[in-house]
Amino acid sequence: MTVLRRSVIAAAATLALPAVALADTAKVYRVGILSPAPPDQNVLGPDMTRAFAAYGYVEGKNIVFLRASAQGNVSRLPGLVDNLVAQHVDLIVTGSYPAAKAAKERAGNIPIVVTQSGDPVKTGLAASLAHPGGNVTGVSEIASELTAKRLAVLKEAVPSVRAVAVLWNADDFGMTLRYQSAEAEAPSLGMLIVPLGVHAPNDFATAFAEMTKKPPDAIMMVTDVLTNLNRQSVIAFAAEHRLPAIFEYAYLVHQGGLMAYGPNISEIFDRAAELADRILKGAKPADLPLELPTRFDLAINLKTAGALGFKFPQSILIQATDIVE
Amino acid sequence: MSEPATPGSRPLRRPLFQKYFLVLFVAVVVPLLINSASETWFSYRDQRLLLSERLRAEAGAAASKIHGFLADITDQLQWTVQLPWVAGGEEQHRLDILRLMRQVPAILDVTSVDGHDIERLHISRINPDVVDSGIDRRGDPAVQGARAGRIWYGPVTLYEGSEPHMRIAVAGSREIDGITIAVINLKLIWDAVLAIHVGRSGEAFVLDDTGRLISHPDLNLVLRGADDPAAARLNELRVLALAHGGVAEGSDAEQRSVIAAMAPIPGPNWTAFVEEPVVEAFASIRAALWRTGYLLLAGAVFAAGLGYLLARWMTGPIRLLERGAEQIGAGNFAHKIEISTGDELERLAHRFNAMAGELAESQERSERIARLKRFLAPQVAELVEHSDHEGLLDSHRAEVVAIFCDLRGFTSFAGVAGPEEVIGLVQEYYEALGAIITRHEATLTCFMGDGLMLLLNAPVPCSEPALRGLRMAAEMQQAVNAVIEAWRKRGYAIGFGVGLAKGLATVGRIGYEGRSDYTALGNVVNLASRICAAAEDGQILIDAATAAEIGDAFPLIALGTRVLRGFAEAVPVFSVATQQEPANAHEDSTE
Repeated sequence: MTVLRRSVIAAAATLALPAVALADTAKVYRVGILSPAPPDQNVLGPDMTRAFAAYGYVEGKNIVFLRASAQGNVSRLPGLVDNLVAQHVDLIVTGSYPAAKAAKERAGNIPIVVTQSGDPVKTGLAASLAHPGGNVTGVSEIASELTAKRLAVLKEAVPSVRAVAVLWNADDFGMTLRYQSAEAEAPSLGMLIVPLGVHAPNDFATAFAEMTKKPPDAIMMVTDVLTNLNRQSVIAFAAEHRLPAIFEYAYLVHQGGLMAYGPNISEIFDRAAELADRILKGAKPADLPLELPTRFDLAINLKTAGALGFKFPQSILIQATDIVE
Repeated sequence: MSEPATPGSRPLRRPLFQKYFLVLFVAVVVPLLINSASETWFSYRDQRLLLSERLRAEAGAAASKIHGFLADITDQLQWTVQLPWVAGGEEQHRLDILRLMRQVPAILDVTSVDGHDIERLHISRINPDVVDSGIDRRGDPAVQGARAGRIWYGPVTLYEGSEPHMRIAVAGSREIDGITIAVINLKLIWDAVLAIHVGRSGEAFVLDDTGRLISHPDLNLVLRGADDPAAARLNELRVLALAHGGVAEGSDAEQRSVIAAMAPIPGPNWTAFVEEPVVEAFASIRAALWRTGYLLLAGAVFAAGLGYLLARWMTGPIRLLERGAEQIGAGNFAHKIEISTGDELERLAHRFNAMAGELAESQERSERIARLKRFLAPQVAELVEHSDHEGLLDSHRAEVVAIFCDLRGFTSFAGVAGPEEVIGLVQEYYEALGAIITRHEATLTCFMGDGLMLLLNAPVPCSEPALRGLRMAAEMQQAVNAVIEAWRKRGYAIGFGVGLAKGLATVGRIGYEGRSDYTALGNVVNLASRICAAAEDGQILIDAATAAEIGDAFPLIALGTRVLRGFAEAVPVFSVATQQEPANAHEDSTE
């Protein structure tokens, strides 16, 4: 139904476009998109462009996206924010907590729409869900709770799992919250967490070495820009060592990961684009409540499972919304 | 037309044109006005009713859509309570619930309770599943509610003060059956609400039984929580609608003036609302009002035109009549009033024309009578005029009695007396004669100073003209004697003589245009004149023909023949014996 609604809106927007173009020929919105990651499967990429298009924004016509990527180096984010401010953007959409934090600290009054930044209330980006206050709104993630759920799903898929190696960017507060949540919930699931916090791409070699030395029963990768940059090696390592691995987003399963459980990314981008649309039309971010994801995807890769030599139980198959054959 | 200063042409205080125009205008406009006003009122009422009905129906449809959304969920939940709880049966139950959650994205988590109200399963999208927690759920209102009524809808709660959630509990039909309690993310009703369109820009929203906003096309309103002023306005609408039978006018979340209708959503005790901006809802009513206005204006213009034309139509002929009356009044009887309206006015114009003709005729006649009266006694003149005997005055030969009389000694009197005395005498003399002449209907042909000539039997014939003439003469003599007696006493020797003759004469009018007299020509006139001349003071002389007619009606004295001037032979003359025969009655008298 949501897809249908969006396409209806898109169609309406397309129809209304000449009028919009006529009325606002002068107004071309400048939207900065800030992410630590390069523009592929994240907030910088075509998914976000499509989400904006559903609300009548056509890149190059009535909107210009100024994409600012830290290329995996979080320390570059403040400079990128300054750069966007210098280019007089009307709005900044951020992906990841460090990007949101940098924008909030340096963008002054420019409205910010945050995505993939964990729980903005818990991380202090916003006052509350209903009344964010300040200049930040966006889509919250029920991230910390979902970490425990992810462990449970992993255990359900592979009941023998006990020791789980958690890979996360230890420099990202949002990601650390997720790790902490995993650590807290694991005992009740009869699991043991092997913390493998990383700070830089080079740390992955160390992590892999550690896992080789003392193999865990499974891997859980907390997805942020740093881990995302190294996703291929993580997937490859898991395959090589025949370790079941669970991720947060479905696209990693499409790239060979065994399974992923997390909020639907299209929905997040759709909500973010709608909030951005309202802000561009004059609403104040302080009046726009933060939204929570309502749809969750369980993605599984049957091929990877086959390679690992096991079959998903029926309960997992029932829940799966995205099955890679 | 220049208005002469006649009484009829004073400036009118209230001209007929004005009155007619006003009356006709009012006669058309007032019923039109009343009709339009009532029509508009009724149409407004009907439209208003129709609008309310339509909005009510839309609200009903919206309510059933929302109810459908919830019914889908409860139907699905119903399946999960079919399977009885047996030892080790959790897995089957869990699979059922996982399937359910796969199908219904709005379900956030599910709690399964067995026949003893013990929690057996808790499955969540966010938290790890819990199997056989063994929690006693007997005190849970969801359990109690479902046991009491099969389906229980919990109150709406806001997750972290923002996103609305609600618990729904469904119990199996048997006591031993379990209960499924599901937490529903009400944000997902949004799709259903968003799909409802009312009119062009109307929308739908849902409030719960406490007036809290559950769903609205503007999701932000819902997520802002319970204390939002915009959401509070919607609750005010609900209060208004409750007070006004389900339809009310008020302002919506965006402070637009709207008309809203409500319909209850059975089950959770919610209310579905549809609202339409007043501007849009009343567009057709407004259009109808404009239409009526234009019609009224057209009607008024038409009425004015019609009134003007009709008033002109009425007053035009009246003006013509007025002008005609003026013309006739001025004596222009030949003036014809031309009106051919085919109605009473035309008839009136004909009357006017006829009246003018009659007036002309009457004036002519009166002029004629006046003329006749100069020589005829008034009653004879009337008779001549009215008896259509115009021919009487035509020249013809008739047997007439001619009578001459004059004063004796007048010439010498006039020589010595003053003019006042002369005129005074003549005046008295003619006054004395006039009445007698008139009474005897004699025709006066002319005055000659102190003498005058009279005719009888012409132009109007009479019986015994000679006798009548003689009687008249006698009376005249008596009357004149009374007059002249006084003058004699004053020392003036004045007498009076009369002569009558009868015979054929030519009678008729002589004279010229505007001045004509009736007279007789012929021997008899000369004879009478001569006999009169021959008469002495106090004597009435008559000729033989007269005497023959008189017979012995009067005592006559034959005076023998007399030679009279102009007559070849001597003419026999008779004297009429009156009371006082003059002393010298037998003397010859010549001029």
